[in-house]
Amino acid sequence: MSWNEELDELARRKRLAEQMGGPEKVQRQHDNGKLTVRERIERLLDPGSFHEAGATAGATQYDADGKLIAFRPSNQVIGRGTIDGRPVAIAGDDFTVRGGASDARILEKSLYPEKLAHDLGIPLIRLVDGTGGGGSVKDLDKLGYTYVPRVPGWEMIAENLARVPVIGLALGPVAGLGAARVAASHYALMVRGLSQIFTAGPPVVAHIGEQVTKEELGGSDIHARNGTVDDEVGSEDEAFARTRRFLSYLPRNVFELPARTEANDDPKRRVESLLAVVPRDTRRVYLMRPIVEAVVDAGSFFEIGKLWGRSVITGLARLDGWPVAVVASDPYHYGGAWTKTSSEKMMRLIDMAQVFHLPIVHLVDVPGFLIGVEAEQASTIRYGVRVMTAIEQSTVPWCTIIVRKCFGVAGAANRPHNRLSLRYAWPSGEWGSLPLAGGIEAAYKADIEASPDPAATRARIEERLKAVTSPIRTTEPFSIEEIIDPRDTRIMLCDFIRLAAGLRQAGLSQFTMRP
Amino acid sequence: MKRVQTPITGTLRGYSVKPGDTVSVGQEVAIVESMKMLIPVLAEISGTVRVLSRKVDESIHEGDALIELE
Repeated sequence: MSWNEELDELARRKRLAEQMGGPEKVQRQHDNGKLTVRERIERLLDPGSFHEAGATAGATQYDADGKLIAFRPSNQVIGRGTIDGRPVAIAGDDFTVRGGASDARILEKSLYPEKLAHDLGIPLIRLVDGTGGGGSVKDLDKLGYTYVPRVPGWEMIAENLARVPVIGLALGPVAGLGAARVAASHYALMVRGLSQIFTAGPPVVAHIGEQVTKEELGGSDIHARNGTVDDEVGSEDEAFARTRRFLSYLPRNVFELPARTEANDDPKRRVESLLAVVPRDTRRVYLMRPIVEAVVDAGSFFEIGKLWGRSVITGLARLDGWPVAVVASDPYHYGGAWTKTSSEKMMRLIDMAQVFHLPIVHLVDVPGFLIGVEAEQASTIRYGVRVMTAIEQSTVPWCTIIVRKCFGVAGAANRPHNRLSLRYAWPSGEWGSLPLAGGIEAAYKADIEASPDPAATRARIEERLKAVTSPIRTTEPFSIEEIIDPRDTRIMLCDFIRLAAGLRQAGLSQFTMRP
Repeated sequence: MKRVQTPITGTLRGYSVKPGDTVSVGQEVAIVESMKMLIPVLAEISGTVRVLSRKVDESIHEGDALIELE
């Protein structure tokens, strides 16, 4: 006696499941330049590490003798595996089965990866390709009634953002709930030309009079530039590589701390080029990315959101091996002024740093919030105060380096004020409520207007005020704690991280992340 | 048509290239004044300059095409 017959039947069904939507649909997926879900999982995970769950879940047909005559697998391949030896949960949509549509989905199976991630405390990667389980009016034929919509498992999707790293990869046309599953993540990616994201696709928007292609409606040209996703990449393999890299900075869940890796760079390394990087002419800009790359561990900077909210650069990096979150102004975009979208981007990173206990390094060159009609129309100040609030609510260690400008309300948010955090300024620092240009006209309007020679009066006032703007004078009232040699910035940051590493506290953050 | 767009709103203060010039990715192609600073626009695509689309000292808006390339 043995159970071989059953095991043979199981193996047969698994072989059927491995064919996904059948050779024709698989060919079409390849013809469209897309990998199948099984190929994706194989390339993403450590070789041989995939442990599938529910391979034999699907729609079946039996003959009169109870013999299986047809099997269509459900359109998700799910399970767990490892990335760099660390466990992850996988939810992979199978576009070759009914285009990822809801009628080939099995609800319990589709919720399982979210539960795996939540209850085992492991990162979750969603490979989204299709509608991802949202409903269709086709369902009405079957049901015979309509229903008040709900997103099954949304409560867990929201809760997972507070507990485990969640990554959403859009790997095809992604609509409705599929779009939501991509966006509801800590890190979301699109593949250029291959992925589109929309709440409703072209046939539906045609009914509101918009005739557009998928790419025009929701290509990465749109969504990697408005912050729907963090980044676009050129290929699926690049998406998998960025996923693995992103995870390498984070703990497995919030009940652990981000791990130190073996340091590959000297914490005492001086960076000679930083002495002359900031121009003396305050109207001239400089590149911030090379500064970030020079002060963190060599090759460790992982930028997030390069194409949106561009006046702020955000990303992850390492200092003496310790993972940190980095926020840095980009003077090439509005002089580093905070815009609506750069505020959103910053808040996203700060919230994530808070949830996963990453100390934050802030390199500041902020002339203030963006001003002007467009900035007001965009509601810059409201998004600005949101990030200011996120900074104030954060409890992770901070270190601030004022590289150049630090003005106004946005400048004041160079660090949280509810506790001590280390702060240094470069000798190129200039700060205040308002810059002299513009500020003089506002404050001395009457004096200037009453003068027989307004231009000369303005120039005299400017000269007088300029004399007191040396940052060294600001050390007199201890308004800036230390001015440092820019070349020593890395040394200060590595010193900070040694102090900060022990202050990190594992556990659920008192506020969580809203995607 | 390949175009170099301005990533920021402001005033176009000058072009750093002329028709016929070859432009490579990352190269400065124009200067825009914004937030009282002179900010270079860096090309995100490469090509040969066909047309300089705007006048110097004109107001420009985020996303406006500054240069047509071929």
